[in-house]
Amino acid sequence: MAYAFEVTIKSLPFLLEGALRTLQITSLAVLLGLIIGTLVGMAKLSKYKILSYPAVVYVEFLRGTPLLVQIFIIYFGLPAIGINIPRYPSGIIALGINSGAYIAEIVRAGIQSIPKGQTEAAKSLGMTYWQTMRHIILPQAFRNILPALGNEFIALTKDSSLVSVIAIRELLRSGQIVISRTYQSFAVYIAVALIYFILTFTLSRIVRWTEKKVAIP
Amino acid sequence: MNSADSKPILRIENLWKSFGKLQVLKGINLEVDKAEVIVVIGPSGGGKSTLLRCINHLERYDRGKIWFQGELIDETSTDMNVLRTKIGMVFQQFNLFPHLRVIDNLILAPKIVKKLDEKSTMEKAKELLKRVGLLEKMNEYPSKLSGGQQQRVAIARALMMDPILMLFDEPTSALDPELVGEVLDVMKNLANDGMTMIVVTHEIGFAREVADRVVFIDGGIIVESGTPDEIFKNPKHPRTREFLRKVL
Repeated sequence: MAYAFEVTIKSLPFLLEGALRTLQITSLAVLLGLIIGTLVGMAKLSKYKILSYPAVVYVEFLRGTPLLVQIFIIYFGLPAIGINIPRYPSGIIALGINSGAYIAEIVRAGIQSIPKGQTEAAKSLGMTYWQTMRHIILPQAFRNILPALGNEFIALTKDSSLVSVIAIRELLRSGQIVISRTYQSFAVYIAVALIYFILTFTLSRIVRWTEKKVAIP
Repeated sequence: MNSADSKPILRIENLWKSFGKLQVLKGINLEVDKAEVIVVIGPSGGGKSTLLRCINHLERYDRGKIWFQGELIDETSTDMNVLRTKIGMVFQQFNLFPHLRVIDNLILAPKIVKKLDEKSTMEKAKELLKRVGLLEKMNEYPSKLSGGQQQRVAIARALMMDPILMLFDEPTSALDPELVGEVLDVMKNLANDGMTMIVVTHEIGFAREVADRVVFIDGGIIVESGTPDEIFKNPKHPRTREFLRKVL
């Protein structure tokens, strides 16, 4: 037991390096997911079917298929048709487009939660659709959906462990490497779990703090 | 008066509008001259608000023509965003932007729509806030203001765009009775300063005092129109008489 503890402590720097990579991958995926999610969420509400239909298909398909399969398609599937994306971008893209589908639904609900009068007031002042979205609707919508987005970010942090299957050396993969050298699977997996927990717990605090910070008085 | 001034600012010809099967406007004709104050009265559901919303194209209409400043408004060739900068609108529910301070509610559109510089826009905003008596509230958020104050800010916000025509859609209907007066006062001053206004309201006192012309709309048509005296003292149409009996 003491040995297991010692091994884990010794491997901590290596695990934390993995945690850092997990943070990197997750934040880039969140960014990608937010951009995709906002655009797809807006497209879903469009009166033009050429925009809303593809958006619906996108959301339904990505929510209706396993993330693990999506990762395999991007990293192992695409090369078969001549598209080679390196390991890291593959992982980030897979996570980003997947969370984009969930974020799209959140953003759609957020936009719909803003009273119609806001759009009408903005329009009546001569604002274009984009100006109205950028200055009036989205700032209010994002405040409303911050808790839901926070949940999504936390889920994504945990889901990022799936990219370990394409040998990205993030937190889980780092743990597995340590275990393959030391055979201390219990202690190391517990350490890995604890680090994930610290990440998600911190994230949920940050989200809560941000909520308070940006609340409309 | 020169010839340019004698042309109506707004001309509406045979305007029809339906929502699904419900025919709301059934051939409205109306001309509004510069500096004229038109008060539109009538029972709810009669099409008053829809008429206003067709004028600045918040609502598309099915048939009919609208000329603004002599130019025919056309779905394909008119830039509706430019049109709307010239037509101010004040809503029943105020519709201030709750995430922006009062001053930012005023300067946002001039800044991003008209691309005016911040400094002159700021000065103008302060001047307008002073005019509606709310300069000291410039850094408050809308939720900290009373309904009457919010509506005065909304009027100032619309005026920031230097509109040629102002539309008021039941501006006092959502207000507590004791707050109605302060909003009507701002509107009176605006009318006295020569603003062209179309006001949908149930405030008959305001109509009597300020309107150049009162238009009674019911069932999607203009049943009767005339000076306040003609409409209120001597209504010709039985529907007008019946409506006035209920509200007076």
